[in-house]
Amino acid sequence: MRFREYLRILLRNPYGRLGLSLILFLSIISAIGPYISPYGVWEYGVCKPFEAPSPAHPLGCDEIGRDLLALLLHGSRVSLLVGFAAAVFSTLIGALVGLLGGYFGGLMDVVLMRVVDALLAIPGLVLMIIFAAVLGPSLFNVVLVISVLSWPPIARVVRSQVLSLKESPHVEAARAFGAGSARIILRHIAPATLPLLVANMVLQVSNAIISESALSFLGLGDPRIPTWGNILRFAFRMGAMSAGYWWYVVPPGVGIVAAVLSATFLGYAFDEIVNPKLRKY
Amino acid sequence: MGMPRYAALRAAQTAISFFILVAIAFFLFRVMPGDPTAFLLESTRIHPETRLLLKQRLGLDRPLVEQFFIYIKNLFIGELGYSLYYGRPVTELIFSRRMVNTLVLVGTSTAAAIGIGLLLALTSARRYGSKVDSALTTFSMVTYSMPTFWLGMILIMVFAVRLRWFPVGGTVTAIKTHSNALEYLADYLWHMVLPFTVLTLIEIGYNYLIVRNTMVSLLQEDFVYLARAKGLSEGDVMRKHVFRAALPPFATIVGLQIAGIFTGAVMTETIFSWEGLGRLLYEAVSTRDYPLIQGIFMLILAAFLITNYVVDLLYAALDPRVRLR
Repeated sequence: MRFREYLRILLRNPYGRLGLSLILFLSIISAIGPYISPYGVWEYGVCKPFEAPSPAHPLGCDEIGRDLLALLLHGSRVSLLVGFAAAVFSTLIGALVGLLGGYFGGLMDVVLMRVVDALLAIPGLVLMIIFAAVLGPSLFNVVLVISVLSWPPIARVVRSQVLSLKESPHVEAARAFGAGSARIILRHIAPATLPLLVANMVLQVSNAIISESALSFLGLGDPRIPTWGNILRFAFRMGAMSAGYWWYVVPPGVGIVAAVLSATFLGYAFDEIVNPKLRKY
Repeated sequence: MGMPRYAALRAAQTAISFFILVAIAFFLFRVMPGDPTAFLLESTRIHPETRLLLKQRLGLDRPLVEQFFIYIKNLFIGELGYSLYYGRPVTELIFSRRMVNTLVLVGTSTAAAIGIGLLLALTSARRYGSKVDSALTTFSMVTYSMPTFWLGMILIMVFAVRLRWFPVGGTVTAIKTHSNALEYLADYLWHMVLPFTVLTLIEIGYNYLIVRNTMVSLLQEDFVYLARAKGLSEGDVMRKHVFRAALPPFATIVGLQIAGIFTGAVMTETIFSWEGLGRLLYEAVSTRDYPLIQGIFMLILAAFLITNYVVDLLYAALDPRVRLR
């Protein structure tokens, strides 16, 4: 398995180390967060509205006297889960479209690539906002909309790699042995696109987390479930900025930046795996 | 492939993209919400015959395919319907001062982000691997990872609320009457500083990273080796050879990026109450104003397909290899 080699390349790169430790840290927080959280999501009135940070409430309180640290701990779990789920789904769709279009070519490829072009032509998030608005606000719709609208770049990258893999000697040999299309795709082509897929999925995670926060901020998520974007939505609507309640505004954004940054760092380090020309460190 | 043939081919592809997107829009705005007369039935206990008549008048009794073509025809004659919230024609709301406001904000910040991004990339590539390079790269990654709206909120909190250097939001001071055009312009620009800064900062990172990475990967090419062997100074090698070779790929990205900047405009305009199309879209989304959402969608669609087409042609004119593919 080349997994070990990849991990080694990743750890040799300072960005890879940083990204990996950040993502581990965030994952642990969001895994155990809700259990170590001193208050529940709906325990309001535990402090005064907009109370400033104090030892009892390290991150202060929101407008109905909920502990903001508790909200943040619960929110990070939802934000990360939404991000990962949407990234996985969109990568799967993109891989499927890229494999099918690239391998079979012909009319199917033409049609699929035209859809890819059409979707790439307009801004992803704007399209997501519009779709989510029509579908109605819910967390499920947020995941759905991000997954369904983020796959085109992946499909294109995978397709171009499949096009060159299709002509490679090992695929030709497999075909000469009488392997069918399904076997060639699954055993000989798909595995070779894996490093590329992982690198792109990592970037999809950052895209998905940012998109989720923006959609939630615009009120297209579920207002009852705290996410980083949702907390910021209420901070904005309750005038936390004008009143100078920085403890309501800063921490959720730091969470988003940390999550997106870890994915960006990892993606940057993964570049070395996919693109050996850059291996310098 | 000659230029005219390439232009025609790309035009055909653009038209196909347009139809695919319009089909998506038709499905999204017309088919998915269901029969528009259904809610009348619930709300006012309308007589079934009246409803049938209404359906015939609205053309809803015709086959869906026919409705689709009527939909396209209406698009082309600019019939986008009435906004549910404003009660005014959608075209009137879109083709207004808001459009100018968005174009000014997006145009200036795009230009600034491209200029600064290229400058920083050149600086970094010349000192590849140095402290300056890693500092700039890390800085770009951080700004690139920030949600636009959060950066806006932070800037408002620091520069508008605490320091009071700039207004919290709006396009011009609402209660003020401007005595002359110059005063109006000054007020307008004063309001634009923060949203402009947000959009520029968000976009610099991406430009910088793309150009820097392209330049760094070009460093090992033969033509760079030759340029150095000729005895050119490192600055000349970078400016005249590497930088120039990195520009064509960047041109395509700028084309695609214009799309991304509009996205940023939606969030920025919402945060700063900037009276533009992005904020209009946010309002339309909050009030579930479907005709207005649809109108803005169509405008975005047309704008981006045309921009992409023009950028592609320019690129093909600059780099003939593109046409050969």
